[in-house]
Amino acid sequence: MFDVIILFITDLLAFFGIYLMLNTALNIERGYAGIPNFGLLFSYAGGAYITGHLTAKIAILLTGAKVEADPITQPVSALMVLNPILASNPLISIALLIIILLIGASFGALLGLIQLGPAIRLREDYLAITLLALGEVMNYIAIAYKPFINGSLGVQVPDVFSWIGSRYRFYLATGIILLIAFILYIYAEFLGRTPLGRAMKAIRENEIAAVSLGKSLTRYRAIAMIIGSAFTGVAGSLWTLYSGAITPTLQRFDWTFLPWLMIFLGGIGNNLGVALGTFIFVLINRLIIFNKHLLAGVLPFDIVWFDYISLGLIMGLILIYRPQGILPEKPYIPKNIRRKIVVSRSQE
Amino acid sequence: MINMIETLISGITYSSLLSLMALGITLLYRTTKVPNFAHASFVVFGIYTSYTLALLGYNPYLGTLLGFIVSGIIALILFYALLEPLRRRKSSIFILMMATLTYDILMFGIINIYADYLQTTFKIPARNVYLAPQDFTLIGLKGVTIVSTSLLIVLLMLLYILLNRTIIGAALRAVMENPSLAQANGINVSLMLALSWFLAGGLAGVAGALLPMYMMTDPSTGMLLIAPMFCASILGGLEQIYGAPLGGFILGLATTVLVSWLSGVIGYWIMTYSLMVPYITLIITLIFIPRGVVSIILKR
Repeated sequence: MFDVIILFITDLLAFFGIYLMLNTALNIERGYAGIPNFGLLFSYAGGAYITGHLTAKIAILLTGAKVEADPITQPVSALMVLNPILASNPLISIALLIIILLIGASFGALLGLIQLGPAIRLREDYLAITLLALGEVMNYIAIAYKPFINGSLGVQVPDVFSWIGSRYRFYLATGIILLIAFILYIYAEFLGRTPLGRAMKAIRENEIAAVSLGKSLTRYRAIAMIIGSAFTGVAGSLWTLYSGAITPTLQRFDWTFLPWLMIFLGGIGNNLGVALGTFIFVLINRLIIFNKHLLAGVLPFDIVWFDYISLGLIMGLILIYRPQGILPEKPYIPKNIRRKIVVSRSQE
Repeated sequence: MINMIETLISGITYSSLLSLMALGITLLYRTTKVPNFAHASFVVFGIYTSYTLALLGYNPYLGTLLGFIVSGIIALILFYALLEPLRRRKSSIFILMMATLTYDILMFGIINIYADYLQTTFKIPARNVYLAPQDFTLIGLKGVTIVSTSLLIVLLMLLYILLNRTIIGAALRAVMENPSLAQANGINVSLMLALSWFLAGGLAGVAGALLPMYMMTDPSTGMLLIAPMFCASILGGLEQIYGAPLGGFILGLATTVLVSWLSGVIGYWIMTYSLMVPYITLIITLIFIPRGVVSIILKR
């Protein structure tokens, strides 16, 4: 029983960490800069697939192992050689993890740059549709272009967490996911208080006013999009490393719509709200999936679908009764300006 | 050569179905100014209406009529339960868009439960709906080709008559042009919007009811088709209702006839990329001619 609970919590926290990264990214893009990124899947899947493509190749370079099998088309025989080496070499494993995460981030940022083309020109609703369409393209490329991640069969990746021992492997992976998610969260919170973050919010509130004050729309939207997509790429990378394999089946529903619902639930623009929304959402979702077997014989349908219905109902109620979310965004006023406001009020 | 004609006929069928779906999206964009993501669900309800009729032993083509009503009601529920309260609160278009997305997710759950229910109760594969074997043939043409093209023409004519020759149509057009002025003239804007949602849902339902005759469908077919629908509607031009069939035919023929011709010329590998055509077309259209093909034609 105790083991089951630990397993449940580890699984819950891993999902929470991945979604927290995605949602902070989305919060920077939409909450700060006002870009309706319905193409989260684009950079997320990009990060996940590039990790699937490159991890084994970089592992071969780092370890200098002699692998005759092609790591993409014959992953099992390549991993038979690579995994034992990585398991006995914590340093190489960690180096590999860091390199892969950096690659995931930069590939994500690159994809963000591609999304920028439409993001600068189009109106909100058109932009949402364009980014949505773009998100779908990544899966089709991965399916159609075999050498990338072996088509629809997908690819297995070397295990960079196994050096701690197979018993603790998932705990370590979850811990690293949570740690990175926390770092990104702190960064996003910090970004919201800097002049850069405040300029983004100014553009979101009123484009014309922001431009008249000399804030370049293109520049700030580009920065928001690149930072956000880099975060998303890292999340994708970690997802592949965590699950140990990747197939080109990442769904728009799971990796674009759910993050949107979560940030709406928590409160767009408020990082703490986003984290809270993410936690509530992931908890409900995981509880339903974890207790699925309890109702398996009772209902004439799969309980997973009930998840969709409950999500839809919660979301509908939020949109009507509390569109600002559980924790609404509070305007942040920097200290020096706050002092000026106090002084001018006392003089009146 | 015979192969080419077959592809062309299949392409025309697909284009007609796509046009019916895109017509609803354009209509809703004109009246409510919202890109409707729930259109996917409207189509899927159409699919399962005709499938249920086929299971009960009726002619699945009756599903076009019943599908119109079922999906129309599904659309009306969306309008009255979510969009109308939000519209009264003066929510932004973005919130309305999220609302249609939410409703789509809700309906996806419901239709999946229905499919599971059919599967466990009747022991039939309710997740692979394919009715083409039950189709009839007339002078060498498949039934679905005849029905879909003629239904498209008839429905377009009816829509034209409704919009241009009746008093309700005049009110609907007034709401499209300027809702507040229409309201000031005593037009019940809310009722007119509801009518447009019923019509759009119904059109999607008709297309959905015909889909299982054309291709293998399941509850996620709607999600797969949502991008081609938006693409057809935007490619044609959101400013003109009759842009939708134009966009539908350009995109429909491009994804079927053009790709199959290219695969003969360049090589078969191009087929694996054919699924990307609507997405790429959509992105290129939005960046270069955001007002659609109709805007180019009308300029001359």
